[in-house]
Amino acid sequence: MTVQDVLSPFTAWKNLFRDPVTVRDPLTERPGAARYRGFHKNDVAECIGCGTCEAICQNAAIDMVPVDGIETKEGDSGLRPQIDYGRCCWCALCVDVCMTGSLTMSNEYTWIDSDPDAFRFVPGVDHKSWDDAELGYHRPDGHRLTPPERIVMREMDPERRIGNFEEIVDGYSVEEARAEAERCVACGLCVATCPAHMSIPDYIATIREGDYEAGLKLLYETNPFSQVCGRVCTHKCETVCAVHHEGDPIAIRWLKRHITDQVDRDRYVDIIGRPAGETGHKVAVVGAGPAGLTAAFDLARMGHAVTVFEARKHAGGMTRYGIPEYRLPYDALDADVDVIRAMGVDIKCDTPIGDKVTMTGLEKDFDTVLVAIGLHLGRSTRIPGSDHPKVAKAVDLLRAITDGETIDVPKTAVVIGGGNVAMDIARSLARLQKQIHGEVGMTVTALEDFSHFLADPEEVKESFEEGIEIFDARGPREVLVDEVGNVTGLKTWKVVSIFDDKGRFAPTYDEGDERIHVGTMVIEAIGQAADVALLGEALTEKLEWNRGRITVDADGRTSEPWLWAAGDCVNGPDVVHAVADGHRVAASMDAVLKAKELS
Amino acid sequence: MKDLTDRLGTLFSLGDITEKRDDLAFVSVAPDLLRAVITHLRDVEGFTHLVLLTAVDWIEGGQFQLTYLVHNRTRARDIGLRVFIDREEATMAGIHDLWPTAATYQRELKEMFGIDFPGSPRIDEEFILEGWTDIPPYRRDFDTKKYAEETYFHRPGRETFDPATHMKDKLYPGEAS
Ligand SMILES: Cc1cc2nc3c(=O)[nH]c(=O)nc-3n(C[C@H](O)[C@H](O)[C@H](O)COP(=O)(O)OP(=O)(O)OC[C@H]3O[C@@H](n4cnc5c(N)ncnc54)[C@H](O)[C@@H]3O)c2cc1C
Ligand code: SF4
Ligand code: SF4
Repeated sequence: MTVQDVLSPFTAWKNLFRDPVTVRDPLTERPGAARYRGFHKNDVAECIGCGTCEAICQNAAIDMVPVDGIETKEGDSGLRPQIDYGRCCWCALCVDVCMTGSLTMSNEYTWIDSDPDAFRFVPGVDHKSWDDAELGYHRPDGHRLTPPERIVMREMDPERRIGNFEEIVDGYSVEEARAEAERCVACGLCVATCPAHMSIPDYIATIREGDYEAGLKLLYETNPFSQVCGRVCTHKCETVCAVHHEGDPIAIRWLKRHITDQVDRDRYVDIIGRPAGETGHKVAVVGAGPAGLTAAFDLARMGHAVTVFEARKHAGGMTRYGIPEYRLPYDALDADVDVIRAMGVDIKCDTPIGDKVTMTGLEKDFDTVLVAIGLHLGRSTRIPGSDHPKVAKAVDLLRAITDGETIDVPKTAVVIGGGNVAMDIARSLARLQKQIHGEVGMTVTALEDFSHFLADPEEVKESFEEGIEIFDARGPREVLVDEVGNVTGLKTWKVVSIFDDKGRFAPTYDEGDERIHVGTMVIEAIGQAADVALLGEALTEKLEWNRGRITVDADGRTSEPWLWAAGDCVNGPDVVHAVADGHRVAASMDAVLKAKELS
Repeated sequence: MKDLTDRLGTLFSLGDITEKRDDLAFVSVAPDLLRAVITHLRDVEGFTHLVLLTAVDWIEGGQFQLTYLVHNRTRARDIGLRVFIDREEATMAGIHDLWPTAATYQRELKEMFGIDFPGSPRIDEEFILEGWTDIPPYRRDFDTKKYAEETYFHRPGRETFDPATHMKDKLYPGEAS
């Protein structure tokens, strides 16, 4: 044994006074890596309760649950994801797919609790210490599981479309429609916003599966104007689409159109199904617009004998006599009307109610009556000169164009109004000007400025493309007439404000900013009213009214037990609302007719 | 990396070449060339470290992709070899004789994708899945959600609401459709 051997245990002691080479107790704090996938966080104010996170989770770890203080409203189901950490494998698929980006993960992963149910909670609602953690996994920028961009709809370019009334929009090919349909996450948030509550995700699914007949059946269960709506619907559903939070909303309207385009029109009635057996009840409908015809469609399918009385030469109402052909070709509308006729609905055209056939007569001859007469009287600005024969109402001109009447097409014309009707008449006249005079000379003047414009942005864009001039924030003051009595234009002032502080319509102007818009014709497109003369004095007296409109309850019933009213003349403002009204009236009438049978 | 892929190209017939970074490239090679190319990379080009061996299921094309990533320590760069094999006859020559660690990867691939490496040590023994009876779980036709639903019970008291149905109940309960 050497001295070294004896001392060696003690040589280690010299290290006693050195700095340690290890870190003392490294385990008191164990932060996860910056992008660690730890417990979830959810910004519940951003979350819309679409449930896409639930749908993608491969472990069925997520439930969508109602939460106190979060309301169910359009575009938000009011549900929020609850996660069961007994099943979660921390894969972050839910974070990657989240439609709003509200769902993220903290880098917190340590948590001890003896109650297993504590590990099931609603992130963002059941507060946790990591709610404000900045680190953790977030979906990286640009990383998307669903393509954010809509499949572009091909359209005829302005040069080709301006000289004719051909349909502008091409419609999707099968491949394009499928690609667009693949973007839908099938959350169904849109269904509540659609006035007719069409089964949107289900019919979009039929496009993915290529089962167009099933799609068509679904469409006509809720909307007998599917070909019409597939082209001109105001598509409010798209404003609440989950995809629109971080991309373009699904082109719901174009997909609906695609289904109707894919099925041979001869097959429609077989697919939609024939009516039920006859009940013996007789229903009269006044007005063959979407409201009247939808009610007629439903009632006929329930087995009632329905007669529709229509003043005009053809059925369709404003969808035929208002909406221009380049947006809605007549054959698409005709096809929808044919389906309604095939259900046994008797549509009598050229039969205005009022003089020869009266409401009293209908009351006598039928069990129940529906009035769905729309809004066909154009309103006037009543500015000086507006009673001149060269001052026309937009709806009158649009009707004349549909009826193929020869119109004295002016080289230059000025439209008053900034809504879609104003764009429709401006663009229709622009086409006629191009055909007759070789060039467009249309001016539109609107009260609203461009940031508050009423017409759809596409309408404004396409009008500009077609060479129409649009002046925003201009108030009409006078139709100018020269000494020999010809209209020469419209005088406008700059609009300062449109509503007073109580929100009432009371425009104010800057008189110093005056403009003369040249035109030998002026067209008023500032709104329409219902022509209720058909009711006759006695019925008008009996009925309850609310500001010039017949009062109806939620089912469309008037104060007279035999009479219902629906569509634009009581509610409005568009085709799909008229369709929804029609359904409600049909259900209500059917219930009343059935009750009669029992009594 | 171009110097390397050029040299490789003169010796072997290569498929697609993807230069990801200055120090990372991927090259596709036919299955029967894989052993020759990877041996050359190891013994001649200094790629002595097998970083990983992994697979992708390209179910639409009926193929599995195997990716062999190897690393050159002195030049601090990586090259990945991509090999596509038939999904139905999923068999590949092993490289466990070149790198013993490859046996572990190969055993994992057998279990998770069902790709066989005949002769690889313990290739047929269970790896991490015990008593697995379904198709290999990393195959894309394996329905994870269905399996999870059938295999693991839910904690009692769980309930979920369908958004569209919930909205109908709250916003328009009386109406049809
Ligand atoms: C120019 C214009 C463009 C439009 N564009 C769109 C659009 O793009 N998208 C959209 O969704 N909506 C659009 N609308 C609105 C849409 O057309 C209406 O909301 C819808 O047609 C209303 O349907 P309805 O059945 O209530 O009335 P209407 O469609 O107006 O139908 C009423 C029917 O009753 C008939 N009638 C009236 N009085 C009598 C009587 N005494 N006897 C017999 N029959 C009578 C009328 O002739 C008419 O056929 C547009 C409207 C206009 C004016
Ligand atoms: S992290 Fe994965 S397993 Fe966990 S809840 Fe999200 S999707 Fe489901
Ligand atoms: S996917 Fe996102 S927005 Fe939709 S419910 Fe889940 S957390 Fe909310």
